[in-house]
Amino acid sequence: MKETFIVKHAVGGKIFIDTGKRPVPYKLEEKADGGYRFTVTTPRGPEIEELLELARELNVFVFRDYSEENEPTIKTWFYVKDGPVAYDDGRQALTIDAESKIEYVPDRYLS
Amino acid sequence: MIQLYPERLRHKTDLGWLKSRPSFQFGEYVDPENSGFGVMRVCNDDFVAPGRGFGAHPHSDMEIVSIILKGQIRHEDSLGNVEIASAGEVQRITAGSGVVHAEYNPSESEELNLLQLWFMPRERGLTPSYETARYDQAKLRNALLPVAAAVPAEGVAKVEQDLTIYLSRLDAGRELAFRQEKGRRVFLFVIEGSLTANGLALGTRDEARIADEPELALAAGGEETFLMLIDLP
Repeated sequence: MKETFIVKHAVGGKIFIDTGKRPVPYKLEEKADGGYRFTVTTPRGPEIEELLELARELNVFVFRDYSEENEPTIKTWFYVKDGPVAYDDGRQALTIDAESKIEYVPDRYLS
Repeated sequence: MIQLYPERLRHKTDLGWLKSRPSFQFGEYVDPENSGFGVMRVCNDDFVAPGRGFGAHPHSDMEIVSIILKGQIRHEDSLGNVEIASAGEVQRITAGSGVVHAEYNPSESEELNLLQLWFMPRERGLTPSYETARYDQAKLRNALLPVAAAVPAEGVAKVEQDLTIYLSRLDAGRELAFRQEKGRRVFLFVIEGSLTANGLALGTRDEARIADEPELALAAGGEETFLMLIDLP
């Protein structure tokens, strides 16, 4: 199984993070309140600045590719709502909090 | 003030199966100076080839209204809705806290043309929902017919925002008046034909963004004119 973490702008589709194309260390934790927290270790740069500006309009995904097991890809989309989405300069870490998620199998649509 | 946005100057996307004319920045078209009009964020004039469409993808916190102008669209979503809508129908999705949907043109031969409109909702985190409203096309004749609005009614899709989307078919030379409340905006789009708006000429697929014009006089040109007018905050 290959996992990819992606953060895009929900309206324009601009991709800020795509670990399939440019790997960055990231961690996903379930929070005690039932939400989710992504922690991404990455330097602060123009892309991160723009991501922070568009924090209320992000689409956050985890794709799990099971093609080697001949199984369909499973996509999980996370609802960020108000986040928070923040950057810690000391740790060089971006954190994105999400409220909920929807897991779906694209192959099962348009049937 | 009426700002004219002629069709010939609009960005054009051509992916082969999808030809799109976005009014505002969208996808590959990046223009931060043109990112919306009030609560309106997207107006895409989409032409979708037979058998093609958009695979499963999510939306949140957006009111998405699709006005089908020609052909059919098949919609399927994570709420369990599976439906085909045709010309004369308006689809509305309240994306709210999240919905995954897919949509495509189910025809083997006919192109699909729709106007896809996105608006910011009155509040974030709403419960997702979907509906299709069928309006009476005969009532478009020489009148502004609401097809989507904050207040639900027969043939009117309910939108979670203080706006009304009107459609109208004006006979050649006919006039309509629209009174705009102070502080509101009007988005005007000519679907077919031509018209003047307070004397300013608009051709097919031209649009105008209007503010501070309390009285708006719309007059069809020398042919039947099909138009969309959106009254929004």
